[in-house]
Amino acid sequence: MRRLDASLQLLAPLALVALASLVGTLVSTSTETYVINALVNVAIVVALYVFIGNSGVVSFGHISFVAVGAWAAGVLSMPVQEKPAIMPHLFGLLGDHTIGNVWSLALAAAVGAAYALVVGLPLMRLSGLAAGIATFGVLEITHNVLRYWERIGPGLNTFSAVPETTGLREAALGAGLAVVVAFAYRRLRFGRLLSATREDSAAARAVGVSVYRQRLVAFVLSGAIAGFAGGLLVHMLPVNTESVYLDLTFITLAMLVIGGATSLWGAVVGALAVSGVDSFLAEAENGIHLFGRSVDLPAGTRIVVVGALMALVLILRPTGLTGGREFSVRLARPRRLLTKFAR
Amino acid sequence: MTVALLNIDWQTLADATGLGGIYALMAVGIGLVFGVLRLVNFAYGQLIMAGAYALAFASERGWPVSIGIVLCFAVVLTLSLLMDRLVFRPLRGQTPAVMLVTTFAVAFLLQSIALLWFGPLGKIASSLATLNQPVTISGVDIRKIAIVATAVAAFCLLVLVLLLERTRVGLHMRAAAMDFSTAELLGVRAGRVISAAVLVSGVLAAIVAVMLTVQNPLVTPDFALRDTILVLAGVVLGGMNRLVSATLGGFAIGFASGLLGGALPTNQSQYLPSFLFAAVILVLLVRPGGLFTREGHQAVERV
Amino acid sequence: MSVPLLVVEDLEVRHGAVTAVHDLSLEVDRGEIVGLIGPNGAGKSSTLHAIMGAVRASAGDVRVRGESVVGKRPEAVARKGVALVPEGRRIFADLTVDENLKLGLAGRRTRDGSDDDLARVYDLFPAVEESLRRKAGTLSGGQQQQLAIARALVADPEVLLLDEPSLGLAPRMVDVVFETLAAIRDRGLAVLLVEQRAQRTVALADRSHVLANGQQRLTLGPESAGDTAALVSAYMA
Repeated sequence: MRRLDASLQLLAPLALVALASLVGTLVSTSTETYVINALVNVAIVVALYVFIGNSGVVSFGHISFVAVGAWAAGVLSMPVQEKPAIMPHLFGLLGDHTIGNVWSLALAAAVGAAYALVVGLPLMRLSGLAAGIATFGVLEITHNVLRYWERIGPGLNTFSAVPETTGLREAALGAGLAVVVAFAYRRLRFGRLLSATREDSAAARAVGVSVYRQRLVAFVLSGAIAGFAGGLLVHMLPVNTESVYLDLTFITLAMLVIGGATSLWGAVVGALAVSGVDSFLAEAENGIHLFGRSVDLPAGTRIVVVGALMALVLILRPTGLTGGREFSVRLARPRRLLTKFAR
Repeated sequence: MTVALLNIDWQTLADATGLGGIYALMAVGIGLVFGVLRLVNFAYGQLIMAGAYALAFASERGWPVSIGIVLCFAVVLTLSLLMDRLVFRPLRGQTPAVMLVTTFAVAFLLQSIALLWFGPLGKIASSLATLNQPVTISGVDIRKIAIVATAVAAFCLLVLVLLLERTRVGLHMRAAAMDFSTAELLGVRAGRVISAAVLVSGVLAAIVAVMLTVQNPLVTPDFALRDTILVLAGVVLGGMNRLVSATLGGFAIGFASGLLGGALPTNQSQYLPSFLFAAVILVLLVRPGGLFTREGHQAVERV
Repeated sequence: MSVPLLVVEDLEVRHGAVTAVHDLSLEVDRGEIVGLIGPNGAGKSSTLHAIMGAVRASAGDVRVRGESVVGKRPEAVARKGVALVPEGRRIFADLTVDENLKLGLAGRRTRDGSDDDLARVYDLFPAVEESLRRKAGTLSGGQQQQLAIARALVADPEVLLLDEPSLGLAPRMVDVVFETLAAIRDRGLAVLLVEQRAQRTVALADRSHVLANGQQRLTLGPESAGDTAALVSAYMA
């Protein structure tokens, strides 16, 4: 039964990803864009889950890793001759080379992980409010540096001429890969050790678990996944410093919270559900026909709705839609996975 | 990076002091609520934004300044009380993680509501524009608002000190901030203390809104967002746990910000946010109680 | 016969899955000291906290002057005439002694007579009156305990609950505390005293209940104060 349980915990989110991709193949090209976007969001939210869900520590800074991943992949996969147009001051090393798109994704993951390591080494000692503020600081610093350091990227300009290679298949594979990695992390000792610290850090320490080290492992891994997602992102649409800053931070956190912060299933459900709602509202903002009536929502409604949903969930049911539990066919599991994220 | 020669004149000094005063009031607003609820209100800036929109509303209709100010106060206080009822009270007893994410969400929500309601272009609140005019004092031009802001801030802080030190409510608030459960055991009315803190915090937000619109009459959904983030950084740097240190931190950041903003050439100040937040992170790691506190007053947890 | 000031009936207190107190019943009337003794973790503190409303009673009733106070918040229970001197004193170290006392006034039912009550408290505790302007954290342990009791008394309670007031005090100060409690009893208050010092408590109180593992084992009168065998067996039961 346990083998089945474990497999289900992996298969269920993967099945959901596959289902979403299937939907993507059936709809029009313009709608397909929403699906691709949703799948990339899955990758980002899974990255958030790997750290936040397992450690119980809130990080406002993860989009920094998405950003550096996007920067690395974007800068290096642009054709050499296109670079001077938007990035005239690039370092020679970056300006003279181009790498393949798949390689750029790997690089994005590596850069994300490296940056997460640098950031995590000092920061993983913090918890609660301090961690929230510090990681917010990281977001600000990253945004600031990427915006003005024109030797490593486009600075104020938007990425363009980056090969748009993230289609439905790539996004689906990327999301699937993220899910598999997150699942593997949970199955290995690391993941369980970390969630033990979330549940009861004193007890965990008493049996010799190093909270600091476990958090660092999760942080770096989630940095890698987030960076990878950034690579997917930059190959999908024109990225600039504002598109990987507060708005994306907010909406991906909303996805995680609404889905259920402490489970992989919750992360995937949240990402797809909120992306679905968001896409629907985006269409409605453009004007659609619903049940024979014409609906034309004012621009900006979608973020209000998502924001309201997030606030409501946090106030009324902080464990999210899935209750923070993994997918399971058993009823009423006596084990309580969730105590540290919400009381 | 070459070290720029700072070009400080009386105008800049006055402006910096004024901004420091405004930020100090914001710091008190945030610190009071934190003291009694242990909750950082990320949405504080949105209260100020709402007040600014109220001022713009009145200004666009040509209403007298006094009416605009009254409207501003009404809107901000109502919103504060709503926030208290709908967000703060249900969150009591939750983990810091949930509280953090929720106020962040509320901040974003309010900002997007404003965006939806008023559009991105912004509205003008110009009723107090005359305060932006300079007045000449012994041969030096100083904007009136700088003097007014400093004076108002000083006055408010004085009133606050009197409130906290000399009144029953103030004593209860201080006690609740030190040890909420014991205060309750003694019969201190928790509900009233929290409401008092929220109310005072709201009044301060309204005052800040009035003063900020003088120099920034264009009211957009992200009005005061930058300021709030800076004040939060200042409060952490100064020391979140005590009101005095938090206020000093707020003032310091405002003063420094005003000084550097007026003195540094633009290309030197680009990376200022990075240095600021690097400093915040450093303080959190090394001296989590804050720079202006004695060691041992720590509100933030460490592993 | 009038109803006793404080009646606790079949009280049950749970902390999560653990039952800290069950089936506890006791009464305290005016001019009485009732002791609650027992080993560590017996549930004595939980009982006081449940009476005060700081923890929810999962079953049973607590009545003050005949009126049930179960489910009320501590601030409301205080206003019914109950005051608690918490374990570890819990004074506000950064506030002055004067301010600590003023905080105690928050539990009063009416403001009238607060000056009289302050005067009476100064009589009982001259050491407190001398140090009004000092920060409470600078007082000695014994003085802090006096302040904690004084703070509870200025609320003009009819029922006084004390949680281990002699904890960590020098023997001379313990004497002072117990003498003060006798004086308080003489004033007509109903006193429920939780203590670890079994013998002294049994000697002082009109009756003492022994609590072990959340249950009441035995009730002893002052005559049993010298009977160590009875005490030991009650603790070990």
